[in-house]
Amino acid sequence: MQLDYKEAHKVLKEYQIDFPKYEMAASKKEAVRIAKNLGFPVVLKITSQKIIHKSDVKGVKLDLRNTEEVEKAYDEIMSKVSNKDIDGILVQKMILGNYILIGMKRDESFGPVIAFGLGGIFVEVMKDVSFRIAPITTKDAKEMIKEIKGHKLLEGFRGSEKVDFDKLVELLLNVSKLSMENKDIKEIDFNPVVVNSKEAMVVDVRFIK
Amino acid sequence: MKELFEPRSVAVIGASRNKLNVGHGVLYNLIYGGFFNTKHNKPFKGKIYPVNPKAKKILDLECYASVKDVKAEVDLGVIAVKAELVPLVVRECVEKKVKALIVISAGFGELGEEGKKLQAEIAALVKSANIPLVGPNCLGIINPHFNLNASFAPAMPPTGSIGFISQSGALADSVIDWALEKNYGFSKLISYGNAADLDLNDFIAYLDKDKDTKAIAVYVESIRHGKEFMKIARSVKKPIVVIKAGKTEQGVKAVSSHTGSLAGSYEVYKAAFKQSNVHLVENIEELFEAAEVLALLPKLKDNKIAIITNGGGAGVLTADYCFENGLILPKLSNETLSRLESKMHPAWSRSNPIDLVGDALSDRYNEAIFRVLKQKDVYGLIVIQTLQTMTDPVENAKAIISAKKHFSDKPVIAVYMGGMFTKEGKEYLKEHNIPVFNDPEKAVKAMKALVF
Repeated sequence: MQLDYKEAHKVLKEYQIDFPKYEMAASKKEAVRIAKNLGFPVVLKITSQKIIHKSDVKGVKLDLRNTEEVEKAYDEIMSKVSNKDIDGILVQKMILGNYILIGMKRDESFGPVIAFGLGGIFVEVMKDVSFRIAPITTKDAKEMIKEIKGHKLLEGFRGSEKVDFDKLVELLLNVSKLSMENKDIKEIDFNPVVVNSKEAMVVDVRFIK
Repeated sequence: MKELFEPRSVAVIGASRNKLNVGHGVLYNLIYGGFFNTKHNKPFKGKIYPVNPKAKKILDLECYASVKDVKAEVDLGVIAVKAELVPLVVRECVEKKVKALIVISAGFGELGEEGKKLQAEIAALVKSANIPLVGPNCLGIINPHFNLNASFAPAMPPTGSIGFISQSGALADSVIDWALEKNYGFSKLISYGNAADLDLNDFIAYLDKDKDTKAIAVYVESIRHGKEFMKIARSVKKPIVVIKAGKTEQGVKAVSSHTGSLAGSYEVYKAAFKQSNVHLVENIEELFEAAEVLALLPKLKDNKIAIITNGGGAGVLTADYCFENGLILPKLSNETLSRLESKMHPAWSRSNPIDLVGDALSDRYNEAIFRVLKQKDVYGLIVIQTLQTMTDPVENAKAIISAKKHFSDKPVIAVYMGGMFTKEGKEYLKEHNIPVFNDPEKAVKAMKALVF
């Protein structure tokens, strides 16, 4: 079973894990109001207990820069899903930076296994992911980040800025702690985590009980 | 555990007259040390009691109908009867107060529900009686230092300092044959099979305390108590080398998260080994090469080494392997450079790898080895010899051996590239406990294993 977005964000807060500001919109009008409140650009995404892969139903719209784009995105999402399948549309502040995946699964013999990798094709195609058994130490967390082949991209590559490694280490340690203390959470996907020179924000979260 | 590895008396329950029977092999191995004749086979010095209700004598030893009929104390019972009879036999051993048991018989947990029940039954019996049990479904154990071959392995391996723990029995058999050819010495050889009672973790803890074991080599398919394994592996003082079978995922369970599908079991093991200082290798040959090097040489305290060679190409090749394996080649210090200048060929490399030039004799080797090992930020050394007309493999070997004596805290590994005409030098090095390889890549990997 997947935790709904409210419960999920409650857990994140409890473990001092940062996520972008968001609000739920029940209508197009509301979505626009929230977007203006948060400040553009924003992201729209469906929240649903039933739909696991939001991208399969084109339920995520990124980088919406004004009222018109938000309205258009809202209509497009609603044309693909029926009201009864979703909990609502989440309007979230868009964060710019590198996409990362951090996750956890429980191994019968070793316990929680923490995963770290660059998001997108790096995870999907290259399987460029590092693993450690929880509880992890600061040294483990640093090694996990260093170990992936793509780690140079995080150090500032061709003009992009160097990410805040301390924030990443802290996030990994918090995921480890969370995994050790909540035995009922079987799997975790933070995918993506957006990381830049100032912050490491969990943009999409999935806790499986 | 003492009675298991150093028993004063052994009963073989299920001893058989039939030469093709496992129960015959075990008895034979105890009496003669091994089935195939080698100089390493040593007969067991304690008492041996064959148990078989249908026979009077087997291999000239008097038979007993039940272990309970043996009047004297029995330290170790080796059971090789049909699976369904094992609980009964174990019960008799408990009553007889046998101090340790090995169940060789197959047909337990590996064979479905019935087998699992039988296994649980014998596990409960020995646990309540507090008797350590190895197996079932295993090859048995061998302690060459104690002349004990309580297994149906083909022969006793050479005596040495590698403690080998194997989840697979058949693999251990082949390892023995191979060790006999390569002359790898073992302190203990343990095949633990289904691990109804004693498990991998127990044997690692035992070998850590065993005075004859210097390095622990493990073949494993799965580890049941992973958390505990990590705890024990972290606490042991001796190096552990592991080969893990089952890299590819045959039946991937349905997982609902992305992370779940990424973290295959091999990745999980790799992470666990990394976090607990266990050296993971890719193949069986590497397992024993690493184990032997670990048993013979001191730890490499930092990943900085030097290379000495009489062939430029071999030096470059080795430097490449070092780079790939995370070993650093520090610059030669001014002191090293100036000391060596007058003793070397004018065309020597003046850098690390140190190329002595092809016509180098042992005096040049000797000088370079001593100077470079004196340099503080050089923690280990690979000495390469290619074969030229003037090369003297045995004299060069002597230079390497003398370095080992003077710099006992820095590991030195030799690479003798060649075959027929380097053989004598290689043998000489081996006799003096210097690991020697034909291929520089193997030497570098072995050196890497010494960083832990």
